[in-house]
Amino acid sequence: MLVLSRRVGESIVIGDNITVTVLDVRGDVVRVGVDAPRQVAVHREELWRELEEANRASASPSDNVIADLTRAVSARRD
Amino acid sequence: MMDATVTMLFGRPAAGAATRESRRVMRADDAVRDEIPVLEMVEPLPGFPEHRRFALARLDDAGVLCALRSIDDPDLRFLVVPPAAFFTDYAPVIDDQTAAALEISSADDVLALVLVNPGESARTATVNLLAPVLVNHRTRRATQVVLDDPTLPLRAPLVTS
Repeated sequence: MLVLSRRVGESIVIGDNITVTVLDVRGDVVRVGVDAPRQVAVHREELWRELEEANRASASPSDNVIADLTRAVSARRD
Repeated sequence: MMDATVTMLFGRPAAGAATRESRRVMRADDAVRDEIPVLEMVEPLPGFPEHRRFALARLDDAGVLCALRSIDDPDLRFLVVPPAAFFTDYAPVIDDQTAAALEISSADDVLALVLVNPGESARTATVNLLAPVLVNHRTRRATQVVLDDPTLPLRAPLVTS
């Protein structure tokens, strides 16, 4: 891993068009600004991992579970 | 009643006796609208980078519970519901970046679907309100968006009774 020291207001440039700027440091919280093209997705890592996990847990339920839920949803609206 | 939001994607109500009758005089453009909509993910669902196209199919007569099945891998499917059917106050705010990615020009273009984690049974089912799948129902471009509201749950109980 490349390790760089930066002060508040300083930036690093990644490739041609991504700039990461340190905006503020307070205690153990660092605020970072990311300038990137629209097609580059930027996410908080832990949130991204949680979302991947939630999606995987939701994938491909069994036919029984689907039938159960379909019945429950239909009954709710009757 | 057919759920209004999902109706926009399908273009017509679920097949019933009355619909079957009207199909006798169906025109060509009706046939096109009757196809199962295929959603194109402009960004893949997190955790599933290989899958870009999903067919949306209704599972109940009212069109509330729907299946999102991968075109590339029919074994991969998700369950989705329009959140409005269960969470009346839920109103996702769409940022400019997402609006641009989905080519959304007006709020009427968008419909939200939330992924269901069915768990063991209908009683334990939860839905992901933090990261809905937003769909431009005109173009069928879609993406899962992490909303900028940390109070929204990743696993909200889906109350079906």
